[in-house]
Amino acid sequence: MTSRRPWWNTLLGVVLTAIMLFPVYWMVNVSLTKSTDMRRNPPFLFPVDPTFEGYTKVLTQQLPYLGTSLIIGLGTVVLTVALAAPAAFALAKLRPIGGGALSFVLLIAQMIPGIIMAMGFYAIYLNLGILDTIPGLIVADSTLAVPFAVLIFTAFMSGIPNELISAAKIDGAGAWRTFRSVVMPISRNSVVTVSLFTFLWAWSDFIFASTLDSGGDLQPITMGIYRYIGNNNQEWNAIMATAVVASIPAAVLLVVAQRYVAAGVTAGAVKD
Amino acid sequence: MTVTQVRTEPTSRGEQVGAAQSAAPTPRRRPSHRARSALVAWAFVAPVVVYLALFYAFPLIRNIELSVRDYTVRSFIDGTAPFVGIDNYLAVFRDATFGPALLNTAAFTVLSIVFQFAIGLALAVFFFRRFPLSATLRALFLVPWLLPLLVSASTWSWMLNSESGVVNAFLEAVGAGQINWLTSPQFSLISVLIANIWIGVPFNLVILYSGLQSIPEEVYEAASLDGANGWQKFWRITFPLLRPVAAITLLLGLVYTLKVFDIIWIMTRGGPAESSTTFAIWSYRLGFGSTLPDFSPAAAVGNLLIVLAFVFGLLYIRMQRRLDPS
Amino acid sequence: MNISTRARLAGVLALGVVATGSLSACSTPSDGESANSEYTFWDPYPQYDETSEWAKVIDACAEEAGVTISRTAFDTSDLTSKALLAGQQGNSPDILLIDNPVISTLAEAGLLTTAEENGLDVSEIEENLISAGQTDGDTFGVPIGANTLALYYNPEVLEAAGVDIAEVTDWESLTAALEKVVAAGKSGITFSGIGTEEGSFQFLPWYWGSGAELTDLASEEALSALTLWTDWVNKGLAPNSVIGNTQTTSWEEFLTGEFAFAENGTWQKASAAEQGFEVIPIPAADGGAAPAPTGGEFLSIPVQSDDARYEASAQIISCLTSTDNLVETDNSLNYIAPTAAAQQEQLDADPTLAPWVDAVGSAQGRTGDDLGTDYPIISEQLWTAVQNALTGAQSPADALADAQTQAEEGLE
Repeated sequence: MTSRRPWWNTLLGVVLTAIMLFPVYWMVNVSLTKSTDMRRNPPFLFPVDPTFEGYTKVLTQQLPYLGTSLIIGLGTVVLTVALAAPAAFALAKLRPIGGGALSFVLLIAQMIPGIIMAMGFYAIYLNLGILDTIPGLIVADSTLAVPFAVLIFTAFMSGIPNELISAAKIDGAGAWRTFRSVVMPISRNSVVTVSLFTFLWAWSDFIFASTLDSGGDLQPITMGIYRYIGNNNQEWNAIMATAVVASIPAAVLLVVAQRYVAAGVTAGAVKD
Repeated sequence: MTVTQVRTEPTSRGEQVGAAQSAAPTPRRRPSHRARSALVAWAFVAPVVVYLALFYAFPLIRNIELSVRDYTVRSFIDGTAPFVGIDNYLAVFRDATFGPALLNTAAFTVLSIVFQFAIGLALAVFFFRRFPLSATLRALFLVPWLLPLLVSASTWSWMLNSESGVVNAFLEAVGAGQINWLTSPQFSLISVLIANIWIGVPFNLVILYSGLQSIPEEVYEAASLDGANGWQKFWRITFPLLRPVAAITLLLGLVYTLKVFDIIWIMTRGGPAESSTTFAIWSYRLGFGSTLPDFSPAAAVGNLLIVLAFVFGLLYIRMQRRLDPS
Repeated sequence: MNISTRARLAGVLALGVVATGSLSACSTPSDGESANSEYTFWDPYPQYDETSEWAKVIDACAEEAGVTISRTAFDTSDLTSKALLAGQQGNSPDILLIDNPVISTLAEAGLLTTAEENGLDVSEIEENLISAGQTDGDTFGVPIGANTLALYYNPEVLEAAGVDIAEVTDWESLTAALEKVVAAGKSGITFSGIGTEEGSFQFLPWYWGSGAELTDLASEEALSALTLWTDWVNKGLAPNSVIGNTQTTSWEEFLTGEFAFAENGTWQKASAAEQGFEVIPIPAADGGAAPAPTGGEFLSIPVQSDDARYEASAQIISCLTSTDNLVETDNSLNYIAPTAAAQQEQLDADPTLAPWVDAVGSAQGRTGDDLGTDYPIISEQLWTAVQNALTGAQSPADALADAQTQAEEGLE
């Protein structure tokens, strides 16, 4: 499968990526457009006569919030994986009584509208006095990902051969050790997949941030967008600029993570 | 950690080939330990169960409770809404919006999933060839997910604007006429579908790609020795071995698509003339669309969606049982 | 710490499950202890951070009242649900600044105190402006400022098309002007016909300008207004995008310099001045200025368990609405002040505001005439009818007839 001419594949890959990212390019284009040109007919395909007004605003006002977003994103990933992976291992391999029902509940749990979830959290957090705190927001954001994570982990872990688990058992490993030193290392792919999406959800979350952290000193970057949405008027170049600035560090993180994963997989293949 | 990986991976691959080919379930051999192992299994699951009970039970019950009482803004505050049983649901069924919303939800969901999955799978297989830059390009496919939906949906409505949108500028440049993507009842659903498929493709791509990665290469090598060609390999090996991951991807896709409202709300507000109103949009419009929220019918519509997901979840579990009779 | 947190969580949850209906009874222990002299203030102005003049004015007023303020800014569409949610949990802010049509909803919910209860003096406020905050003779808040809609025009485009703005006095002459502009190769008029409250807000000057009343959506007059808009779109005098335009999008279209007219609000007056755009009142069907709806936010005092708090809140509000502060705040918001004295001061400083002061003077509240919470129901049907007619899904007559039926059903 890998024997085809690779440059041809790369070319096709670049074209497909370009098509996929065209809307992102358009967002960048709008972020650089003056308000007098925003609804020009026909539109400029490139930022002719660009304005950096949006970026000046964002860079002077929003940068500290990137750190908050990063902490929230990573915290959510850790919490989600810690909760979901053991449960998925049990569902896939230990088959607890009621496991099917649990998968089912996880599925249904995701159907509860976000705004209703946020309202529930508001009531709970208010009484606990943890509104407007980062740990509170991490826990809330994790609800976006935990059911997903358990289901995905279960799907992947059910592919792990039972012989491997039995072998560990014969070697005298308990369930926890089997999980830590056999199951988790094999499941690296799914851990990365789950972590990626968990991070992305936490990074781009709006609804929990605005309900649970609107008064906090440390707000995620998405809330920075609100600064440009007045009650009568929206500053689109600044809104788009915020989104661009907010996505650059995370995009770098994504590319690096993917490279790391790809490298790891190849290393494993060589060892074969 | 790295040491363990290097050591276990070859074993796992070898074992997986055996499992995939014979699909022989391991014999169970622990009736005496049953009670203890059940306890162990539950110890692993317990944190998630507690978590679910803490954070989901209340909103879920609350949503049901909202739908079986007649809440006004006043009784929402003081909690004195009268119990009305299924009246809200009956009203929803009788509402003129019900029929169109049902059709739109079905069309939106089915078409979204079909295209997202097909495109995602095709891309996953394509990127699996591992050519130069493949990892980077694949990572870039996730960039749309970094953007808050407010921004990506607004960008789409920007591009699809009747007069100043780049899509129509392109169509006019090649001689086609102006299409009112967002403002005509014929096209609004198609427009939100395109945007939603765009958003869903990376999700399918990444999960299916990881699924492909967990298929051991030895299986393909064995098939090659048997003289199988590319298509045969795909249909006989890739597809069956990908099934558990593909099934959960589809199911999650279904749940997420049923829930989609931000994209549609920002692009069309469910309009014009309800032409892109799905159940999720309808529920949101009842609850938050005007300055006078109507929580009870909104919750009833939301619960219909939960019931829909419930039905598909049952189908999934039945399918899973049939495929995996252990 | 951990264990006690968990126990508390479990307790809260049990309470929630057992008594879902009566959660409102929970008061907030954390709030009651700490918040004796700290007052909470919510507003829909996220564009102003803690270093802004607006935040400083609030702080200064709080200091005068001998308390401190903790201010939170929300997106305007989030603020309604947040206010309801907080009210349900007994966690309302001490002072709530909120979009005027929402006042009637919150008052209906029993979340706001009346001027009689909180001791606010509302006598200075212009009568047509405060009406949006009044129901059944009770006043639930005071406007921080007012805005309304008018017709901006681009003198260059009009001149090139040979249109004299003085001749645009009623619908007929306006339509004739649009036809001339389009014939000269430019675009006619842009507005916002979106399927939300914004769409109703923009349609109302034409609706009221035809002589129609909100209590009868299917009247002849209403039909003439909707036909006017529909014909504009069908004849290409207004772009198709108006169906989905927000007021911002519509303004961006106008900023391209391609359009002769744009219906938009007071808040764009600074941007208009920069571009050399000018403004006239929206004409009524048969001439004269049409009544436009009032926009702007109201300061209100939500119900608290401790009614001793109202005094300081009221003091802060009267400070914020003192003439000096009103002028400053409304200038930076691009609003018109709600009191005669402050309006005069604004005019003295900038005489070009005269058309806006007039427009605000003849504007009327959407929830006034004792419509109160009937207004949102009627308004939703109104924007639906506008959408259905503009897209051609229904004829204007059918759309309005359906809207009237639905509104009556909704009001039962």
